[in-house]
Formats: sequence, C-alpha cells, structure tokens
Amino acid sequence: MSVSASSAPTAATPPVLEARGVTKVFGGLTAVDGVDLEVGEREIVGLIGPNGAGKTTFFNCLTGMETPTSGRISYRGRTLSGKPHRVTESGLARTFQNIRLFPNMTALENVLVGRHCRTSQGVLSALGRGPRYRREEADGRARAHELLQFVGMDRHAETLARNLPYGDQRRLEIARALATDPGLLLLDEPTAGMNPQETASAMQLVRRIREQGLAIVVIEHDMRFIFSLCDRVAVLVQGQKLVEGTATEVQQDPRVVEAYLGKPVDGG
Amino acid sequence: MQQFLQQLVNGVVLGATYGLIALGYTMVYGIIQLINFAHGEIFMVGAFAGLAMYSYVLPESMQGNPFIVLPLVILAAVIVSVTVALLVERYGYRPLRRAPRLAPLITAIGVSIFLQELVRLFYPGARSQVSFPRIIEGPNLELGGVTIARTSLFLLVVALALMVALQTFIRTSRTGKAMRATSQDADTARLMGINTDRIIVLTFALGAALAAVAGVMQGMRFVSIDFRIGFLGGVKAFTAAVLGGIGNITGAMLGGFVLGIVEAMTTQYLLGSAYKDVAAFVVLIAVLVFRPQGLLGERVAVRA
Amino acid sequence: MIVSRVATSTSERLQATFTRPVRLAVGGAGSLLVVAGCLLPWATFFFGFPGKVTLAGFPGGSRLYPLLLVAVAPLLLVAVEGRRRAGLAAAWGVFGITAFNIAAIGFGRDLPLGLLEERGGGGLGAVAIGAWLALAGGALLIAAFASLPSSDEERPFRPGLPAALELLTIALSLGLILFAVVIALEVDETSRFISLIAFATAAGMTLARLNVFAYVTELFDRHRTVTLAAAAIAAVVFPFTQGGNAYWIRVFASIGVFAAAAIGLNVVVGLAGLLDLGYIAFFGVGAYVGALFAGAARTTVHVKLPFLVVVVMGAVIAAIFGVIIGAPTLRLRGDYLAIVTLGFGEIFRILAFNFDWLTRGPNGISGVPDLAIGSYNFGATNEVLGFSLPGFANYYFVELILLAAIILAFTRLNDSRIGRAWIAIREDETAAAAMGINTYRLKMLAFGIGAFMAGAAGTVNAHVTTQVSPDSYGFLESILLLAAVVLGGMGTIGGALLGSAALFIVPEKLRSFQDKRLLLFGIALIVIIRFRPEGIVANRRRKAELHDADPSTGDASGAPPGAPVVGAVAQ
Ligand SMILES: Nc1ncnc2c1ncn2[C@@H]1O[C@H](COP(=O)(O)OP(=O)(O)OP(=O)(O)O)[C@@H](O)[C@H]1O
Ligand SMILES: [Mg+2]
Repeated sequence: MSVSASSAPTAATPPVLEARGVTKVFGGLTAVDGVDLEVGEREIVGLIGPNGAGKTTFFNCLTGMETPTSGRISYRGRTLSGKPHRVTESGLARTFQNIRLFPNMTALENVLVGRHCRTSQGVLSALGRGPRYRREEADGRARAHELLQFVGMDRHAETLARNLPYGDQRRLEIARALATDPGLLLLDEPTAGMNPQETASAMQLVRRIREQGLAIVVIEHDMRFIFSLCDRVAVLVQGQKLVEGTATEVQQDPRVVEAYLGKPVDGG
Repeated sequence: MQQFLQQLVNGVVLGATYGLIALGYTMVYGIIQLINFAHGEIFMVGAFAGLAMYSYVLPESMQGNPFIVLPLVILAAVIVSVTVALLVERYGYRPLRRAPRLAPLITAIGVSIFLQELVRLFYPGARSQVSFPRIIEGPNLELGGVTIARTSLFLLVVALALMVALQTFIRTSRTGKAMRATSQDADTARLMGINTDRIIVLTFALGAALAAVAGVMQGMRFVSIDFRIGFLGGVKAFTAAVLGGIGNITGAMLGGFVLGIVEAMTTQYLLGSAYKDVAAFVVLIAVLVFRPQGLLGERVAVRA
Repeated sequence: MIVSRVATSTSERLQATFTRPVRLAVGGAGSLLVVAGCLLPWATFFFGFPGKVTLAGFPGGSRLYPLLLVAVAPLLLVAVEGRRRAGLAAAWGVFGITAFNIAAIGFGRDLPLGLLEERGGGGLGAVAIGAWLALAGGALLIAAFASLPSSDEERPFRPGLPAALELLTIALSLGLILFAVVIALEVDETSRFISLIAFATAAGMTLARLNVFAYVTELFDRHRTVTLAAAAIAAVVFPFTQGGNAYWIRVFASIGVFAAAAIGLNVVVGLAGLLDLGYIAFFGVGAYVGALFAGAARTTVHVKLPFLVVVVMGAVIAAIFGVIIGAPTLRLRGDYLAIVTLGFGEIFRILAFNFDWLTRGPNGISGVPDLAIGSYNFGATNEVLGFSLPGFANYYFVELILLAAIILAFTRLNDSRIGRAWIAIREDETAAAAMGINTYRLKMLAFGIGAFMAGAAGTVNAHVTTQVSPDSYGFLESILLLAAVVLGGMGTIGGALLGSAALFIVPEKLRSFQDKRLLLFGIALIVIIRFRPEGIVANRRRKAELHDADPSTGDASGAPPGAPVVGAVAQ
C-alpha cells in the first residue's frame, strides 16, 4: 500500500492506474520492457502497436495473470496484489483478445459470474436460502439484466454463450466485465472480427461506459476506432513504449509510421 | 553398504521397466495431451502374449534355447501389444479427439477394465498368478558382494539400448522430426504437410512396443505374471513420466530409474514391503506439488 | 467404418427406388409381419426357455417387446414423415430383439463367451415360424425407414397441452418409470432381461429422437414441486409394495447410499470439473467412522456415540481429509489431479489394510449393530396400516432422508453464486479468475463438500452393510461411482440416481453372466462415451458442449497442463 504522490499529476487524488517500469521477460524474450502508463479518471487511453508488441502481455501483467519480472502497478494509489481475483476485486476488469466466455452458461449466467466478487453469500446461506440470500440473488439478477440491456442484448439473456453470434459474444464479455463494478476497464481488441456497423456501435458502447464514470484502456488495431475515441494513445513497439500523446501527436510522429510501415526507402 | 549397493542395483533394474513403460505415456502425452490410462494394460497384454508364444506356439524342444525363445517371445508380445494399442487408438480415442478431456480419460479407464477382464477370463489359468519362464538360465553373477541375476543384466542392457535407439530415432530421423513438430503444435504441423494422424498412430505403436518388451522383462524377472500387473505398473510408470517431466523422453527414462531406486530403498530402509506401493504415490504427489514440471521438464506456467 | 459406408450407400439406393406408396406398403407389410410373428410361437417345443414362447395367439416372454415397438413404427411412417432416425431406432430394436431371441432359442448354450449357459439349444430347428416372421418384418421396417429422405432438421416436440394434462403427463411419466423398474425387477431370466434392455434402449432412442424426453424434462422443470412431491411419494410407498420381503428394499437402500455419494462426486466432477479418481476413499472414511463409533462387535474404538453425531462426525472427518488432500493438489490442472487423487485413493486402501490397530486390517470391522433411538430398535418388523414392513425398511427410510438432504443441497448449491462459480471454473479457469473468483478456494470448497457428502453416505452405509473392510474402497469402486455420474449424466440429479440404479440392478439381473459383468462394464463405458458422451440424462449444457466442440467460441478446457504454453495464458 504505497501512495506515490510525487508522480501523480494532482497530488490530492492518485490516478486510476499507475504502472511504473513494468517488464516481463519470457526466457530470452523481453515481451514488455519498462512500460510506464498512467490513466486518469474517466479517461480513454488507446494502446496500439504491431503484432507481438507485447500489448496483451502488458494487460496480463496489469491483471495479475502474469507476474511482471519487475515494475510496480497501483490502482487509485493502492499497489495491486499479484492474484487475478484480487486485482478484479480491487477494481480492474478486462476482456480477452480471443473471447473467453463460459461457453456453456447462458448470457445471464455469464454476467452473474461477474457479480461473484461483489456478492458474499456463502454455502450455508445458499443452502438455507434466507431473506438476505434471496435479496442478494434478486439484486444480482436485476443488475445483470440491466447490464445486458446496457450492452443491448437483454433478449439473449437465456441463450448459451456458445450459441451467440460473434459480435454479441464480444459485447457479452464487456457486460460480464462491467458486472464486477470496475473503476478501470481493460479492453483487448474489442472490435476484432466485427463489421463496420458493429464497430460503430462498439465505439458508442465504450463512450457510454466512460459516461458511467469508468476509465478505459483499449487495445486495437483499428486506427480509426482508436483515433476517434481515445483521449490519449500510447504506442508499444517490441515491448517498449515508443510514443505517448494525443491522437494527432501520435498520428504525426514519424517513429510510429516507421514502426508500422518500416523505414521509408530513399527516393522511394 | 553391500545391502545398499544391492538395493541400488535392484532399483535400477526395476526402474528400467518403469522407464520403458513411461516412454509410452510421455510420448502419447507429448503428442495429444492424453493420459493414456490403458497403457499399463498394454504392458500387461504384452507379457501375456509373450507367455502364450512360449507355452502354446513354441515346440517343447526349442524352449531351452534362449536365442530362439527370446526373440520370438518378444516379437509376439510386440505384435499383440501394438495391435491392441492401435485398435484402442483408432476406435477408442480418435473419435473423441475434439471432445472434452474427460471423455477419452473415461474411455481409457473402460479399455483398461476391459483388457484386464479379457485376460483374466480367457487366458487359461489367468484368474490367479501364472508362472513365466525365466528363459535365460544360469548362475547369478557376483560383483563385490552384489548379486545380479543374468536376466536382470540382460534386461538392463536391452532397456538401455532401446532407450538410446528411441532417442536417436526422434532426434535424427525425418519421422522423429515430424513427431516433435506435432507435439509442439499439431495444427501447424498439419498445415506444414505432416500427416498428424499417422504420427499419432506411430506414437501409440512405438509406446506399445516398448511396453511389450517391458512386459516380457517383468515376467522374466518375477517368474510370474497376473492380470493386475498393468494397473500398478501403469500408475508407477506414469509417476516416472511425471517425475522426469511429462512430454520429455530423457525425463521418462530418468524418472523410471529414480522411481525404481526410491522404491527399492524405501522398501528396504523406511517402510517395509507392506507400504512399497505407497512410496511411488508419495513421490508422485510430492513431485506434482513441489516441481510440477518434473526433473527435466521446462517451466510450465501453473497458476492458482 | 466400412459397415457404415455400406449402410449409407444402401440407404441412398433405397431412397432413390422407394416411392412413397412403395415405402408405405413395405412398412405396412413389415408391421403386419411383426404383429403376426409375435402372436405366433417362437419355439417349436418347450425346453425351459422363458416366457411360454411355444404358445400361439399370445405374446408371451420377449415377444412383447417387438410388439410394443412396432406399435409406434407405422404411426411414425404415416403420420410424421421425416422421423427417419426415430423410426430406424424402433425398427432396429424389433430386428435386434428378434435376432437375439432366435440366437438364444437356437444356440443359447453354445453362444460365445458362454453368455446364456443354462438355456436354449436344439439349433435353428427349435426356432418356430413366428420368430422368422417377426425378423422379416423388422427387416422390412428398417428398409422402409431407411428409404425416408434424411433430414437434419430438429423438430421440437411441443404438444401444447393444458396445465392439467401436463400434470397428468408428469404423473404418467413417473408412473411409467416406476412401472418399468418393477417390471425390470420381476424379469428373472437373462435372455428376457437382455431383451428388455434392448427394448428400453430402442424405445428410449426412439423417444429421444422424437424429442419427447426434452419435452418431459422441461415439464419436470416447470412443475418442479409437483414432480418432486410425486417422486417422494413413490419412494416412500415403495417398501409397502414389497409384501414384507426385504430383498429389493435392501437393494434400493444400497442404491440410495451409492447415489448420495455419486451426487457428492457430481459436485466435484460435474460442477467444478475436477476429475477425482480416488473419491471412494472419502466414502470409506465415513464408513470406518460409522462402524467404529457405532459399537460394532469388532470395533477398536470402544466409544459408542448416537447415530446422528456419528453421521456428522463421519462427514466432517471426510471433509477434513478432503481439504488435506485438496490443499496441495488443487493448484494442479486437469489430468494431473486425476492421477494424484487416484494415488491418494490407493494410499487410503493400503493404510486401511495395514493399520491393524485401528481398522483390523483385511478383516475389517464387522458386526455393526442395529440402530436404536431410545427404546426403538431399527431392526424390528413393523405393521403399518395393515402392511407388513421388514425391519430393513427403517434403514431404507434413513437412507431416503439422507438422499433427500443431499439432493436438496446439490440443487441449491448448483443454482447459487457458489454453483455458478464452480461451473465457471469448469468452463474456463483463467477467465473465472479474471472475473474475481478465487478459484483455488472454490475448488477446495467443492472438494470439501463432495467429501462431506461421501462421508455422510459412508456412515449410513456402515449400517446398511453391517460391516466395513478395505476391499470395498478400491479403485474399481471409485470408477463405479464415476461411471454412475458420467453414464447417468454429469451435473444432473436424475443422472446420478439413474446411473446408480443401473449399476446396481443390471449386474444383479445378469447373474448368469457371473464374472463377465466387469467385462461388460468396461465395454459399456467405452460404448456410452463414444455414442452418448453426455450420459443418459443430458444436462442441456453438457449436451451442447459434447456434441460440437466449436473452436471459435474458445476451448473450454483451457490450455493443457503440460503442453507448450506459448500464448496460452490470456490473449
Ligand atoms: N506465455 C508466453 N511465453 C512465451 N512468450 C510469450 C508468452 N506470451 C506471449 N509471448 C510472446 O510475447 C510477445 C508479445 O506477445 P503479445 O501477445 O503480448 O503481443 P500483442 O501486442 O498482444 O500482439 P497482437 O497484436 O498480435 O495481439 C510475443 O512475441 C509472444 O510470442
Ligand atoms: Mg494481443
């Protein structure tokens, strides 16, 4: 539990997320190399970079699914414990690049699982089914329906996740993450595999999530999506943060162009 | 000291059998991530096939000549074991390749029970112990007070030779390379034009052949077999495979020897023969808890 | 493979040549032949073959089954075209049962494996015209159904009955189940029992393919209270129907105890997805506690405690063992857990064998006395409302209470925050952890609760069997329990009950198979996993999961533990 007041932009309230020097080494490969990232309240930060740049690995480090080789991560001033479920309890929630729903549970049940860490009824209470249990269960269901409605798929509440179309699966993953009442949402390629309409509505969805008071970090390869949505964009190349700035700054930075397209050939 | 050395030798010989069976577990696991629970039974079937060759096919006049008997007995064991293993793969496991992992495991248990019962019911006299010929006769060798049966020495040599041959095959041959590729990533291997089905069949066949040899060895050493040897033999060999690092071929052999020695030593010095099977399980549990990747295995991400 | 290819090409030819009228004619002729054949004698002379098969004009013995099957077949053919698969199940049932009986009548004694040692013989000369007619009829029916165009369309079965009729359907279905059990219990002869099983399979497949089961299950679900009440009444009434005979009451008490343990295992395997191959050890712990503290004749602990205290104690001690075993192993993934639990199971058995001072080694603890609460002795015979109840019925009721409690616990846990977390872990452990579930703790909980249930069942079992010995708690027993869960249908109560009952009754009935039962058990495991991996009673989840493993929605089992794991963590 350390509050790093020195580096915070405003000393009074620490940033939502503060990552300092996060490094992850796999054998001989440094997948993430000393990355710093700060996310403020209600901010949407984009994370871009070529394939294999280490974006997902960085998310894994943030959420405790990988133990960083070095570096420190704190959420609202509190250093995060390494265990994924503790991280989620603290207020970070994520989606996965290759959708990881619970395929044989219904959409509603998927979201209810997200409520797990915000509910507390144990075995005895589940067996006894007292009023407290029933109230919590009913509240949970109401909240789950609300979230399904929020992402626009309430009518699929009883469909098995495996039977949902691809776009709905992505939205369901977001609803499930929101069910953990996060303060910061990490989205790993939320529009991968979507058609332009779905992408547009996903963009709307992300904006609406921000309006609910959440901060968001989003990994995407779709530049239009990133540049029209994000307050700030960080570029990761070969594990290192190359550039960070507003959409225009990043777009105009020659190093970014080079990282994506290679060095311009003389006279070419 | 002498006793210690004696137990060391016993352990090494015991471990050679475990190692040979463990190779089958480790190769199959490496390729399709299946614990082939029925592999122990393949070993048992091999022992019985060898015995059947000896008792029912070979004319009595030849039974005294190890140079004729041994190759034929091993050949019969290998043929039967490989056939059974391939049938099990084709009709038991292959249809379940895309199914959740519980399904093939239960099939494997079913196959295991089926093979045990088949032998128990239909092999003459197999409801209890059946005696197995020693094949290699002659006085024991004495080496600094340590007794080694001729059979044991022979078995050790054969086991080591087979292990080296297998290593060489997998390291250097084209097929061996294809096997390694398949174990790394079956889908990519298929895209690269490797017939993965063929590789899987081959893996099962190789494992079964080694288990069959181990079965004959077991019979010669203990001079008797019964239909239950597959269960314990299988579990212990699996332990050896895990101990060495599952999926790792050198590891399986090493694991076999370590387990054999541990078993011999604990029986002698710690627990006594009533608990000799406990030793193997304790080793298994300890390895999985403290070093799940095994002695030679690479670090495997295991998260709570 | 070859067989199925030939079958496919044959049915393609049939589809091409049979027009609708031809099909109806062939099917009608087949049905008539079967009916006539079943009413005519199947054997030329009487030689002890069961069921009065020499009599004409009366469908005795196994002749009843093809007749029942054929009752639906023409209906399917005429009324609901497109029911090809359902019709084929019925038609093959007719053909198979008849063919089996022909073989049994002609060569019973000489069949391979000595399956029917005591009956039959006399060669094909002993087989009478009726059997041949029925066989021919079955073949015609197969041809008629095979000639229907194959369509993959799934038609739900929704008769849309008014509520009262729905309740009646429930009552009838339960009654039918009970009736089937009673019939099955009364059939004594092996050949008839095999015919009955074949009939049940064929009829079951026909109904399943018509989606009737799905409908009935849904009805059960919708009218849960009614169903439960009806089932409870049936279970309580059962001992009164036995006319003072304890045999089947004893069998059912054993089934109940076994089922209670199976449901506990269902928590571990079916919900949390942890494969436990040494589960019987927890049952054994309970049984030893039960016997030792019940004042058994051969106890080594000379303390006698009240029954309820012993049940709780057995359950708690088993749960403690569960936690001790779970603590180091539940961090492992998947298959490793299976082998480690197998190891622990074996260690339990070896220890029970060798700790003479506590367990009396291989002899075990025998002479568990009758329960007594106050001055009431549970062994006494009772007269209730003019019905005579054998003393053993008391244990049956004790077991029924235990089973009811465990079923209630399972259902409530399944449908709760805890149950959802378990299923999430089973589906994708990594994602579950990312959703804030403490996976390790919840897996421990599943293990502990499973062990608790097994322990409680074990203490009761000590009284049912009156003795406890290490041989009853080996690997095979663990596998039997697992089989009851898996074959019955994972994650369902009905499956665990049905699986337990089947694994008890079927071996009991196949007495003439004697020591071949285990062989058949092995075959059954292989075949059922191959063709109906979701078990007899399918849970809608498992069914979806097992019949198409669609890689696009993510591999539910996650990364294999030993495989190369590049990129396997979370992308
Ligand atoms: N568990 C692991 N073990 C070894 N190497 C890994 C592991 N996970 C990721 N890597 C490597 O780390 C590098 C970064 O991978 P990562 O998945 O983070 O990239 P990414 O930026 O998300 O790429 P993409 O845009 O394709 O999703 C890659 O080279 C990958 O192969
Ligand atoms: Mg990525």
